[in-house]
Amino acid sequence: MPPRIPIRVALPRFAAINCSPSLLLPHIPQRGIKYGWSTAPPRSKHKRFNQPSAGLPALTTGPAAALKRRENTTPLRTGVLAIKKGMTSIFQGKTRVVCTVLQMDQVQVIANKTREKHGYWAVQIGLGARQGRNVTSPMLGYYEAKGIAPKAELAEFKVRDQEGLLPVGAQLLPDWFQLGQHVDVRARSRGMGFAGGMKRHGFAGQEASHGNSKNHRTIGSTGPSQGGGSRVIPGKKMPGRMGNEFRTVQNLKVLKVDNELGVVLVSGPIPGPKGRIVRLQDSKKRKAPALPYRVKALEQLDERQPGLQEKLEQARLRHLEMQAQRQAHVAEV
Amino acid sequence: MNAAVARQSMGCLKAALRRTRYQKTWQRCLATEAASPSTASITKNAYSQRQHMDKQKVSKFQIWPQVPSPRATHPDPMPTLKQQEIARLDPTGARTRLFSRDHADSAKVGDVLMVTTKAGEPFSGAFIQMRRRGVDTAILLRGQLMKTGVETWFKIYSPTVTGIDIIWRKPKRARRARLTFMRKPKHDMGSVDNLVSAWKKERYALRSKAKQGGGKQIRR
Repeated sequence: MPPRIPIRVALPRFAAINCSPSLLLPHIPQRGIKYGWSTAPPRSKHKRFNQPSAGLPALTTGPAAALKRRENTTPLRTGVLAIKKGMTSIFQGKTRVVCTVLQMDQVQVIANKTREKHGYWAVQIGLGARQGRNVTSPMLGYYEAKGIAPKAELAEFKVRDQEGLLPVGAQLLPDWFQLGQHVDVRARSRGMGFAGGMKRHGFAGQEASHGNSKNHRTIGSTGPSQGGGSRVIPGKKMPGRMGNEFRTVQNLKVLKVDNELGVVLVSGPIPGPKGRIVRLQDSKKRKAPALPYRVKALEQLDERQPGLQEKLEQARLRHLEMQAQRQAHVAEV
Repeated sequence: MNAAVARQSMGCLKAALRRTRYQKTWQRCLATEAASPSTASITKNAYSQRQHMDKQKVSKFQIWPQVPSPRATHPDPMPTLKQQEIARLDPTGARTRLFSRDHADSAKVGDVLMVTTKAGEPFSGAFIQMRRRGVDTAILLRGQLMKTGVETWFKIYSPTVTGIDIIWRKPKRARRARLTFMRKPKHDMGSVDNLVSAWKKERYALRSKAKQGGGKQIRR
């Protein structure tokens, strides 16, 4: 069967022939000074007067101000990715403490983000492993340049300043966390699927009897009628998808760390089912581990994996080589 | 007469239909049997288009070796962790043995147990139910306080539980895992104080006998 010729392609558009560009403009008045548009030249360059040397108070908005504002609540050190393995309990003295077991599987530093280049300080962390065939070409090139095997999961952890950045390729083990320190755990909650108003938002529902007919768990009215706008206000709580959204549990205590098993035990429950990938980082509302411990942890990183910088350099060179090969191959084809 | 004939003919039709149906399935079986081995032998060693593309893609990149993973050595850390905690709380393994399934002389539901805690008086009652959860393994005892039925859960590995004794063994094995029927007035065991006092008396007698025996040995 021959391919069908699209009939409409050849026909010229009516508007393209007859209308000049000015006629194509919408008839709604949207072009004018009060809509934020003017033909006049800009009246001044306000940045000229807002320099730090002008003797004005520091700006309270903008990227620098935002970083300053968040300084105290940004952790000093990077967090890690882990997999929720289940819950158990341990006895501390007489008291029984329930805890969640998190396994850190091949947690590595992938990249650092800097204030100069990206606008903030952060560490990119990877977890687990992925087969090369299940990774896209751009990402394969990314890992190639880092000298790291493809990861199952990537995440970014903001840190306060330059001190928090780590050497690329360093593997973080559970003793990155100090026994007894506090961490914030962030994970997606269990997905509940499409849920009604009673389950999703805790609505009261309707009565079982007194003439009620087939409306026992419905949400009822969604707003006033004529006079109240005759519309449903945006954000009205209604039935819909419930769960599977990021939830943070703050200030969980680290009860146990085990490098051999690769586990961190934190007190209490955390969101999500077993097997969920979670993010844990030093608590933003509690004190970070003391300076000697932080220094020791960094020293241990160096001891366990010496020469990370050289490895990275080698990987970069290898990446350039492979890139040239790929480009040559493309040119041939 | 007419009706019977009609029924007979219907029966014939039914049988004939059944026969054709069987034949059909038989043919279908043969057809698939004949077709499957030839296709399988061709595709077994060949890559699909997609697999080929994947291999080609991967071959263009350097893939670096992986760092050591605890997932390889300990895919599931939970049993190990539970065992570690049990070993810490019960170094002699006495508690594990007392409630193990493998020993005939372990405590079984239906027995009367006495749990001594650091907190206060020992609590004794019928062993109604057991919840086996590794370190969190717990037992439910139903006793009586001030003529009121009282049930209490005890974590068997808890450091606050200093001792668990079997006061009385049920002569016949309980045929339920959970003896919830013992809450009903008809089956309620009521107070177990008489059993406890009998057990204490017996134990006292045994102890004194042992002492006497020991004394004799010293004399010799």
